[in-house]
Amino acid sequence: MNRARIAALAALVARWVLGGMFLYTGVVKAVDPVEFLKLAREFGIVGSPAGLNLIAAALPWFEVFCGLLLLSGVAVRGTALAVLVLLIPLSAMVLRRALAVQDAAALPFCAVRFDCGCGLGEVAVCQKLAENGLLIGLAAFLVFSRDSLLSLRHRWL
Amino acid sequence: MPAIDRATASPGAVVLEGVGVAVAGLALALLANELSPRGLVLSRDYFPSARDPASTNTAAGSSRPTDAGTARGAEADRLAAEPQAEGLHVLDTEAVLVMFNDPRREQGLFVFVDARDDRHYQEGHIPGAFQLDRFYPDRYLPEALPACLAAEKIVVYCNGGDCEDSKFVARLLRDATVQADRLFVFVGGIEDWQARGELVERGSRNSGDLQRATP
Repeated sequence: MNRARIAALAALVARWVLGGMFLYTGVVKAVDPVEFLKLAREFGIVGSPAGLNLIAAALPWFEVFCGLLLLSGVAVRGTALAVLVLLIPLSAMVLRRALAVQDAAALPFCAVRFDCGCGLGEVAVCQKLAENGLLIGLAAFLVFSRDSLLSLRHRWL
Repeated sequence: MPAIDRATASPGAVVLEGVGVAVAGLALALLANELSPRGLVLSRDYFPSARDPASTNTAAGSSRPTDAGTARGAEADRLAAEPQAEGLHVLDTEAVLVMFNDPRREQGLFVFVDARDDRHYQEGHIPGAFQLDRFYPDRYLPEALPACLAAEKIVVYCNGGDCEDSKFVARLLRDATVQADRLFVFVGGIEDWQARGELVERGSRNSGDLQRATP
């Protein structure tokens, strides 16, 4: 197997992992937007009710949309860029919340557990940050990848 | 379609594609929310601030969790403080049990209202309790409100602990013209109820599917 083929397969796996994860977590949140709304409120992201409602209402479906694009191989690089732009601040918010919980409960950092609103229930923060790091890496890889193995339309533009 | 397409794209094109995905994704997301039966109303304030407590009935005359006989002490005081600060009456589990066993409950004069969502309500609620999920009030108010307006006392509960939904539902009922001095928040919630091994009803209201909770 040559390097080009390996790179193409790596891009395919990255697309499916990232797309599958986004599709799953998006669906979990989309079917129970109220629960996600409550969790988003705890993060104190926005102060206005309309802003909070917009995030809670739109973000889950946006994740579903991006997941489907990645799985089907449509506008892959642009979708990966959008996902990357989303993942970085979300991960920062999880880190900020974890530090606040650690400070309040006087726990070791990796002992902190809470529902981060990620669609996976209560998680250990170190595990969650490692997962997000992996997803950010996959998204960054896809932004630069030009391989379009099993893609419906790799480039939309 | 070639197995490997190494066609190039300028960085600008990738960014433009990303913007396009974001715009299209947001539009479709808002549409999906609008079409979803579980969708949120973007203009609604789901966590309204309390009205001026001075304009509402104070906690005078309400049962306070620090009454003799309660075992929860400081924790109960903490949980009761917030609704009391808003002028809502609170009840501890002992007082709720007295009301539950009072014959006036079966006459509809004492009404219980469960502030939780469908899944949690169906899994087990206080027997005969009306459901009122404040996030979808249009579905539940038509049945619950008339019963509350006719009742002498209305006990609202949710999970217990830090659950706020009972407080918000009590305020919702108050804003819907239920007299404030008839509204009580059961701060211990269904968790306390079940911890005492009391009867819970599964499924819909008055389903008859009763079982004793396992403490």
